[in-house]
Amino acid sequence: MSEGRMYPGTGKDERTTFAPYSAFDIPQDLRELHGRYDVETTARRVRNFRYAEEWMMMMLGGWLATVPEVPVKTGLGKIIWEGAKAADEFGKRLPELRCGKRAAESSEAGNPGFADLIQEIAAPETPDLTIEKMTGVFDVLKPHLVKVYERHMRETDQIADAPTIEILEEIVRKTERHVAWGHEILDRLCDTDAKRQRRHARQAELNELLEKCGGVTGDLALDH
Amino acid sequence: MKRFIEHEELARDRRFIRQQNVAADLLATLPDDVDAVVELFEKVGPVIEAGTRGTAAEPLYDRFGPAFTLMTLNEPIRPGDPGTEDRLKMRMHGIFVGELQALEGAGRSLWDFPEAPWEFKMNMARQCWDEARHVQIFEKLLDHVGGEVGMYAESTFLFEAACADDPALRVAGVNRALEGLACDVFRDNIEYAKQTDDALMEQSMDYVLADELTHVRFGSEWVAEFCKDDPERLAKAREFRRETDRRFNFGGARSADKDAAIQIAWEDRKFAGFTDEELEDLAQLSGEGPSRKTMKKAIEILVARFQEEHGIPSEAQS
Ligand SMILES: [Fe+2]
Ligand SMILES: [Fe+2]
Repeated sequence: MSEGRMYPGTGKDERTTFAPYSAFDIPQDLRELHGRYDVETTARRVRNFRYAEEWMMMMLGGWLATVPEVPVKTGLGKIIWEGAKAADEFGKRLPELRCGKRAAESSEAGNPGFADLIQEIAAPETPDLTIEKMTGVFDVLKPHLVKVYERHMRETDQIADAPTIEILEEIVRKTERHVAWGHEILDRLCDTDAKRQRRHARQAELNELLEKCGGVTGDLALDH
Repeated sequence: MKRFIEHEELARDRRFIRQQNVAADLLATLPDDVDAVVELFEKVGPVIEAGTRGTAAEPLYDRFGPAFTLMTLNEPIRPGDPGTEDRLKMRMHGIFVGELQALEGAGRSLWDFPEAPWEFKMNMARQCWDEARHVQIFEKLLDHVGGEVGMYAESTFLFEAACADDPALRVAGVNRALEGLACDVFRDNIEYAKQTDDALMEQSMDYVLADELTHVRFGSEWVAEFCKDDPERLAKAREFRRETDRRFNFGGARSADKDAAIQIAWEDRKFAGFTDEELEDLAQLSGEGPSRKTMKKAIEILVARFQEEHGIPSEAQS
């Protein structure tokens, strides 16, 4: 039982006797305050991320009926659900970033160019275009999102914006798995030079559009 | 990618073949009259025949004629009954392609209705994952009963009947009528699995049934939500669901009758948000088709005529 003061008083001689560090010498948190994004910027970026995830899972939903390969249909089922959960998590972060309660369901394209890019990625329709469909999502959009999410995690305020980092960590982990699966499927589908050429051509075409519009937040120079 | 597709646009690999939906349409309109059933089936014989060519159902057609479709539907699947193995394969194959179309229907609901509320999209996305797992489960169960993908023709009737352009009607048709029917069929199959000590089938189908009940509940909740200030839309959704149900009674094979091939899974459906009133209505609707007795008589006549015409000895009927 300590004989010293348990609670501080008002005078300078009335301090408690507790040492500032515990006997376990807990290491100090060396992370520094300050990140690249303020609250408003992070909120806008999260709305942009939500837009990408929402539209991506919607287009994958549309394609379930128009891809003939059964393992592609069944594999996409889970990716759609994980995409919806990602959009949902981003949405739940928005009211925490001073966007109002209703903001949880709001998505916003980084700029009109990115909205057009999403529609272009979603354009392939007929059953002979699985390569083009998969390339758009698994060679272009998802890898781009992983880069942007990782950069956001590194450059945002590590302590103040930690809840966003937590959300992104989980989404990146799953998205990397989606990309690995998509690449495996694409590698198998592209079993001739002509098909590999189709994949590369589609990838190049979409990457050009991505660079032109600046990607998911419209600011590729800062994001990649 | 456009919004709204036709059932002919469902993409399949080369194992699959399509069946014209006319036979299914026909079953929906059958009256409780032996002569009428016989006459209708003789008329569409060539269409039914075309749907069996190159499939595992071909020998069944060659032996029994167009009535074989009625024979497979009209009788409950019981262990040890003649033809049970084939009928089980047919049923597993039918469920497999049904799950495929349910997966595609849920996915299209995401793309076709971009303005839908977020919670609706979450439910449909979850359903995509569930139906994808169901496709995988029934691919394995089909293999388990000795069948394989593509051995029978696929009717895209489910997708055609249920995929309406209004989301309220879509969920009424897909989630309440079709998923409700799935509950009836799964409950029946679980009983069969119990009788044959098939623990693998019993357990996996019970998980699927649990998922389907959730999907029916999505349907019950979204019909109410979409139509909450619009009694006219609610009436339309209700009529659409009844119409879909009528088409899926398979000429009375699914009904509340004690001797029906497939019983209405009353308790399961109540759990998923069907009211007693709706279930009474469904029972009444299912009772409008031909009775099992009528079907039995019609099958006898159809098979006898077919076998006489083709010089097939009648003992083949067994
Ligand atoms: Fe299912
Ligand atoms: Fe379902």
